[in-house]
Amino acid sequence: MKQTRIRRLISLGMLCALAALFSCMSRYYLNPDNLLEIVRDASVAGIIGVGVTYVILTSGIDLSTGSCMALVGMTMANIYRYTLLPIWMMLLIGILVGLAAGLFNGLVVAKLHLPEFIATLATMGIFRALTYAIAIRDAGGVITSQAMTYSSFVKWGGAVGKVHYVSIAFIVIVILGQLVLKKTRFGTNLYAVGANKKAAELSGINIVRTRIMAYMTVGFCAAVGAIFTTARLQSTTALLGNGFEFDPIAAAVVGGVSLSGGYGDVVGTFIGALFMSALDNGVLKLQMNTAYQYVIKGIIIILVVMFDAWYNTWMEKLAQERGRKEAVKA
Amino acid sequence: MNEDVILEAKGICKSFSGVSVLWQVDFSVRKGEVHALMGENGAGKSTLIKILTGVYTKDSGSIFWDGKKVAINSYKDCQKLGMACIYQELSVILPLTVAQNVFLGREPKRLGLIDHKRMNEMTQELIDQYGFPLEPEALVSNLGIGQRQLVEILKGLSCDSRLLIMDEPTASLSGKEAESLFSIIDTLREKGVSVIYISHRLEEVYKLSDRLTVLRDGKNAAVLNHDEIEPKKVIQTMIGKVVDESAGSSKEMRKNTNEVVLEVQDLSDGTGLFHHVSFQAHKGEILGLGGLIGSGRTELVRAIYGIDRYREGAIFLNGQKLKPSPKTSIQAGFGFVPEDRRGQGFIPLLSINRNTALTNYDRIKKNGLAVSDKDELKLCQEAIERMDIRPADPQKQVGLMSGGNQQKVVLGKWLMRDLKVLIVDEPTAGIDVGAKDEIYGILERLAKNGIVVILVSSDLQELLRVSHRILVMRKGAIIQEFDSGVVTQSMILEAASGLMGKEKAV
Repeated sequence: MKQTRIRRLISLGMLCALAALFSCMSRYYLNPDNLLEIVRDASVAGIIGVGVTYVILTSGIDLSTGSCMALVGMTMANIYRYTLLPIWMMLLIGILVGLAAGLFNGLVVAKLHLPEFIATLATMGIFRALTYAIAIRDAGGVITSQAMTYSSFVKWGGAVGKVHYVSIAFIVIVILGQLVLKKTRFGTNLYAVGANKKAAELSGINIVRTRIMAYMTVGFCAAVGAIFTTARLQSTTALLGNGFEFDPIAAAVVGGVSLSGGYGDVVGTFIGALFMSALDNGVLKLQMNTAYQYVIKGIIIILVVMFDAWYNTWMEKLAQERGRKEAVKA
Repeated sequence: MNEDVILEAKGICKSFSGVSVLWQVDFSVRKGEVHALMGENGAGKSTLIKILTGVYTKDSGSIFWDGKKVAINSYKDCQKLGMACIYQELSVILPLTVAQNVFLGREPKRLGLIDHKRMNEMTQELIDQYGFPLEPEALVSNLGIGQRQLVEILKGLSCDSRLLIMDEPTASLSGKEAESLFSIIDTLREKGVSVIYISHRLEEVYKLSDRLTVLRDGKNAAVLNHDEIEPKKVIQTMIGKVVDESAGSSKEMRKNTNEVVLEVQDLSDGTGLFHHVSFQAHKGEILGLGGLIGSGRTELVRAIYGIDRYREGAIFLNGQKLKPSPKTSIQAGFGFVPEDRRGQGFIPLLSINRNTALTNYDRIKKNGLAVSDKDELKLCQEAIERMDIRPADPQKQVGLMSGGNQQKVVLGKWLMRDLKVLIVDEPTAGIDVGAKDEIYGILERLAKNGIVVILVSSDLQELLRVSHRILVMRKGAIIQEFDSGVVTQSMILEAASGLMGKEKAV
């Protein structure tokens, strides 16, 4: 237990330290409205981060999440504009498109045995290009944004009281995601596949199915993210989801999900997403140049990955020393 | 058929691309016995195990389980019968708990979710039954290697396995961890579980096994009962020659009194792979390094060459202390022929020409930034001539050549330099007999020219034939030096197995 518990404390500590730092610099930072805003802004990246956590646990990666969002958004815009289907059908089809995109990723990775990085880099391009292909154009053929203002749709971009729907969805998905991870065979299999593929295979785990299901989870999460984003923007463009390949991975990494697979969980990613959002929020509040956001995020990721590599070797060494000592006792 | 027998293999044959690896091998394991399987490297032990566990398919022969003839085509088949293999490279899932590992893929469920409580209880029952020092809820990543192995054994037992196969189970265990494994094996035996025990470490085998099967060159050499197991006899059976009767099984060692070229002082890597290693090597000496696989020889020579770091100690070349880095080593006059020829010795996709140039760019003329092709070619042709590399075509891709010629390319790229020390690690592994002789000739010629050759070899005949002096390593330390008198293969093997009574505690 220790190894994961200490890592959890470290990401929580990072979040608290960041909040403390910004609250010293801006007295608006810790007020409830701003905290809710931080949660809201963490939500979409965090929701996708839940799926990305699954994929990274299997020692994979998914770079196509942003493009997948755009494809889902544009599909819904087409349905909105050209059909009379009810809103719930539009949402359902959006989710199905996300799942299909995930299935495609999963097949390419698990069935065709392409390296995850290359496969999802390719699908990142494919999904984005498909988005442009079906993009809404004005009379002159120029791509425009499509407004989606139907009230029963737009309300999902709003809030109950002060809590945004997207924040609620975020928390629900985190709880569900953690439950599946810890309480189902699928969850256990994700760890097994990521930590030791051979051993997982010998134990009769279907590796192909596990990996495909992980990618489909990402597709589902990306679709949910796309729905809440378009509802809030009340429109969509072909550029939707730019940057949302980076943030979910960053959230997972900061939250302690090991890029080499097998370590980490959804709650960690939840904390990581909050950290990223708290950082963005602070940079804005202090009126720093927002261009530096990604510089800071990038540096933080490098530091965290470096730390994790060192931390994991160190923990392994401790375990071996302890093992030897216990053998002497016995 | 004997009712006591749980597993019986009869007349097993297996060959790979025409080369016979197993020939008419019989092997049987009784219920509740620890049966050791022994043999030198390449005797066919692991091939036999892979056939029994369904990794390879046999060419002919039959396998009986509990008296019935069975077909084992995959590891699953073997699991279904009730066999489990405890792999050398551990196959536990580190981020999961002990219980999760034991029941991986077979977790008890309640309402569709894993019933952790019941799983932990079931694991605890198993643990109690066999008295393992484990806790169901402990994360495996927090356990030492010895305990991780127990998790794997427990997993095998949880599938009602009646036969466990342990392949070098003590290879990465400390002495105390090994002790506790032995007592566990005793418990298993009492509970009627059979164990096939594969180990290079003779003293373990004597202590543990009820019976012992020795393989030699892919054939049955002997099956011994517990009271017949006697160290010297086993070693002789493994080697297959009565000592001192055939050429190459013994040799007179000699001290070399020339000036000291290389001196290694108290070298330790800090993790125990090798520790407190000291020796001197003299001008024109071929120094053999013997020992079992995993005794730390490769790690030691890699550290001497400077590619792996060492924590303590120092290396002196002609009295000058060396900085540990391959670059300085090469400049100082070291050459290194690694064990993994294809992976580390040469670049398979490049030509002979480019491969020989790799270690010699400091000596090849440059035209501005570009390397002079003419110079490169000249160097290569010289190497081809001196090493008698065939085909003698500088543009030939090295990956497509025979093993012996590949090794000559590797040697050639070093011999173009002004060498002082050449380290060769298993230089003739996988090389045919004719090319072996040529390589021995090259090493002997180098020594005559005053170069120090350090030879790591698991082939005892080779070690004896080429070396002037032999150091034997065991568990990371040099435990025996043979520098005078007649030395035989069995003397080396006894030293390497810790039977010479000089072993220091680790």
